[in-house]
Amino acid sequence: MSLVKFDEQRFSLRQAIEKSLDLIDFQFNKNTRKIVIKPNLCYYWDYSTGETTDPRFVRELVDILRDYISSNVEISVVESDASAMKCKYAFRMLGYLEMTKEKKVGLVNLTNDKADKASVRVKGKTYEFLLPRTIKEADIIVNIPKIKYMQRCRFSGALKNIYGCNPRPKKYRYHDNLDDTIVGLNKLMSPSVCIVDGIIVKGITTLKLGLIMASTDSVAVDAAASQILSINPRSIGYLKLACEENIGCIDFKVKGERLSKFKRLYPRKTFQYKMRNLLSKIYLRFVAT
Amino acid sequence: MSKVRLGLIGLGQMGRIHLRNSLDLRTIDMIAAADVSAKSLLLAKKSGVRRVFKDYSKLLKIPDIDAVVISLPNFLHLEAAIRAAEHQKHILIEKPLARNETEGAQIVSACKKNSVKLMVGYPLRFSPAFVELGENFRAGTLGEVQIAGGDFISVGPFSPRGGGSVPTPIPSWWFDKKLTGGGALIDLGCHLINLFKFYFEEVAEIRSQLGYKFNMEFEDHAICFMKFKKGVKAVLNVGWFGRYHSVQVRLYGMANYALAASKSSLLGYLRRISGPDRSTGFYRELEYFVNCIQSNIDPLPSGQEGLEDLQLITEAYRNTSSP
Repeated sequence: MSLVKFDEQRFSLRQAIEKSLDLIDFQFNKNTRKIVIKPNLCYYWDYSTGETTDPRFVRELVDILRDYISSNVEISVVESDASAMKCKYAFRMLGYLEMTKEKKVGLVNLTNDKADKASVRVKGKTYEFLLPRTIKEADIIVNIPKIKYMQRCRFSGALKNIYGCNPRPKKYRYHDNLDDTIVGLNKLMSPSVCIVDGIIVKGITTLKLGLIMASTDSVAVDAAASQILSINPRSIGYLKLACEENIGCIDFKVKGERLSKFKRLYPRKTFQYKMRNLLSKIYLRFVAT
Repeated sequence: MSKVRLGLIGLGQMGRIHLRNSLDLRTIDMIAAADVSAKSLLLAKKSGVRRVFKDYSKLLKIPDIDAVVISLPNFLHLEAAIRAAEHQKHILIEKPLARNETEGAQIVSACKKNSVKLMVGYPLRFSPAFVELGENFRAGTLGEVQIAGGDFISVGPFSPRGGGSVPTPIPSWWFDKKLTGGGALIDLGCHLINLFKFYFEEVAEIRSQLGYKFNMEFEDHAICFMKFKKGVKAVLNVGWFGRYHSVQVRLYGMANYALAASKSSLLGYLRRISGPDRSTGFYRELEYFVNCIQSNIDPLPSGQEGLEDLQLITEAYRNTSSP
């Protein structure tokens, strides 16, 4: 697992991404023909809010992949519709349509992609999902998540971003089995490498953190990222389950910058913030109703 | 004085605010509500609305209804308002009056022809902070006002609606300029244009600069420059890019300056979701509209004002330059 501090005064974004990959000795397979890049798009929120992957980050990555593998490699940037987000608007609004046109890479709404049924076992139970063809046929999946708090499962990072590859738009239907679903989808669509775009992050406020993390282990990425957010990784249900299901390892070794450096800067949920939230919940539960 | 028997047409985001306020106001007898969404109708029924309809034409046929509040998407204003006027219902219609001045003129004309009252919903005109600012200005406490500024930044169609674990999708009409009539300038700018006209009266000149951060056909932010015949110059900033709601107005006079602001706060949020907030512009606007019907007074902002606002917006769209 690598942690890199991106400082645009000192080096370019491309150099920072390359450094994060070098630190983990990531080797590109020259025989790769098809690559899928999965950014994290969330509603129609601009990258500057810290909620969504910066299209410039993906653009740099496209250049790196072409330089290291081949200029002919077929690259697709993918996302799927969600309850309140339609890719046809999000791609355009968030700069992905423009970027993919400029870079001549595919832009795929997985909800409209051809898909096959696929089953996966989690905790001994069999789950059936739709596996989009673009993902099924890819040699490499590059996961570019954001790291943030999430109400339902406390934390959203690399594993949760793959949940967005589920082509069904009404994702709330999986909320009752969210941990199993996240883990199941990660078993089915396992990324080759995760590179976290933590340049701008959204904690309790938005902040330019300048963080880039890379690892081939999604569980390790999430374990490290959750620590930056001051969340115990073992308290995150799907992360614990992913570890039990051998998707990755919750224990990790860091190369590059120290984790504490980012933990100190991240706009974490403070005691005051938690108290204010608690009081508003009490108000809603006992006073307002 | 007898209660005004009210019908609500449209129970979306704005319609639900009117629903809550209507049920709280003692001067209103809530008769019926109409919406295409079964979920919204169920909510209305549970809240105490006696009759609910999927088709608003059935609501308009109820002879007992004196007035209606129209909170429909912009492209449906024309038909709904004309039909309501033909059924002799007084109308409070959400801003903007219509998608363009042609449709706006048709609505105003239909209401005149059928002798029904028409009011356009501009809650800033009733919001205490902005009312007080206008009173200060008129009382001369600021001296002669030279310049004014107004900012209205909101989420627009780019953020999911509603709370809870499942966000409500933004209706697709928001993304079609033909159905909305424009972008942030018509949606948010009309509030400030109307407010500044209320303060400074006749407009001599209006220009705009439009921004397209989200790469859509409609502007998601805009700057509008207004010059008033009384000499005041005003700059309006509107934007649909925020994940917050912020409205601010500043007036700078020879003697002093004053500002009014309405910013989302935790307290405001708790108030909104816990019940009707009697201090909001929406509540006071509806209360005033009902009083006008009871007292047979023509309400303001009138349909004519709403039409003039649309004319100014058309002019601003014409006199534009892209950044």
